[in-house]
Amino acid sequence: ADPRARVAPVVDLRRFVGCAVREFTFLARKPGCGALHITTDACWGRCETWEKPVVEPPFVEVHQRVCTYNETRTARVRLPGCSPGVEPTYSYPVARSCHCGVCLTSTTECLTSA
Amino acid sequence: YDGPVPGCHLYPFNVTIRSDRRGTCRGTHLVHACVGYCESSAFPSRYSVLAASNFTHNITSTSRCCTISKEAKVKVRLDCPRGRRHDDIEILTATECRCDMCRKSRY
Repeated sequence: ADPRARVAPVVDLRRFVGCAVREFTFLARKPGCGALHITTDACWGRCETWEKPVVEPPFVEVHQRVCTYNETRTARVRLPGCSPGVEPTYSYPVARSCHCGVCLTSTTECLTSA
Repeated sequence: YDGPVPGCHLYPFNVTIRSDRRGTCRGTHLVHACVGYCESSAFPSRYSVLAASNFTHNITSTSRCCTISKEAKVKVRLDCPRGRRHDDIEILTATECRCDMCRKSRY
């Protein structure tokens, strides 16, 4: 699939399989400044994962890939109402493309939930 | 068949067990794995996450993975040449699957 594929509004999200760029809105804030709503490109999808019993220890083979950023660029905005001496710039990543890949703990906070 | 569907499902496959490298005694059994497509996403980290990671984790990923939620043991009978006998070998098979926590140490 095209890694630059976007989740178009016509796609049925309940049936979507794969990993695509999707619009995401968050509140940018840091101490000493006002908050700002930002809409950007992030990643969302469903990647293939599996667990398979095997004869030898550890008795289960695991394949886990998650939908995450492939290529990114950094965007910068100016937060409003910053106190004197507080740097008003707020940087955040923008997804140019997304893919099913390993969650890289060097750049990413990897969370998983039941 | 409409291609892959979301969710985490039982997937049958044949496993062949050999008693040694030469495969003197061998047996085959149908067992199940769990295979599927669970939701995951990645987005800009909150300021608290950024600060806690010394500004290295600018992305946060949340994910669930297709896991075996229930399993059973099955006995596989090995067939040997010239009427020799070999003890049955126990192996695991998945009986239920679920989108659940990814096993962090393995991904």
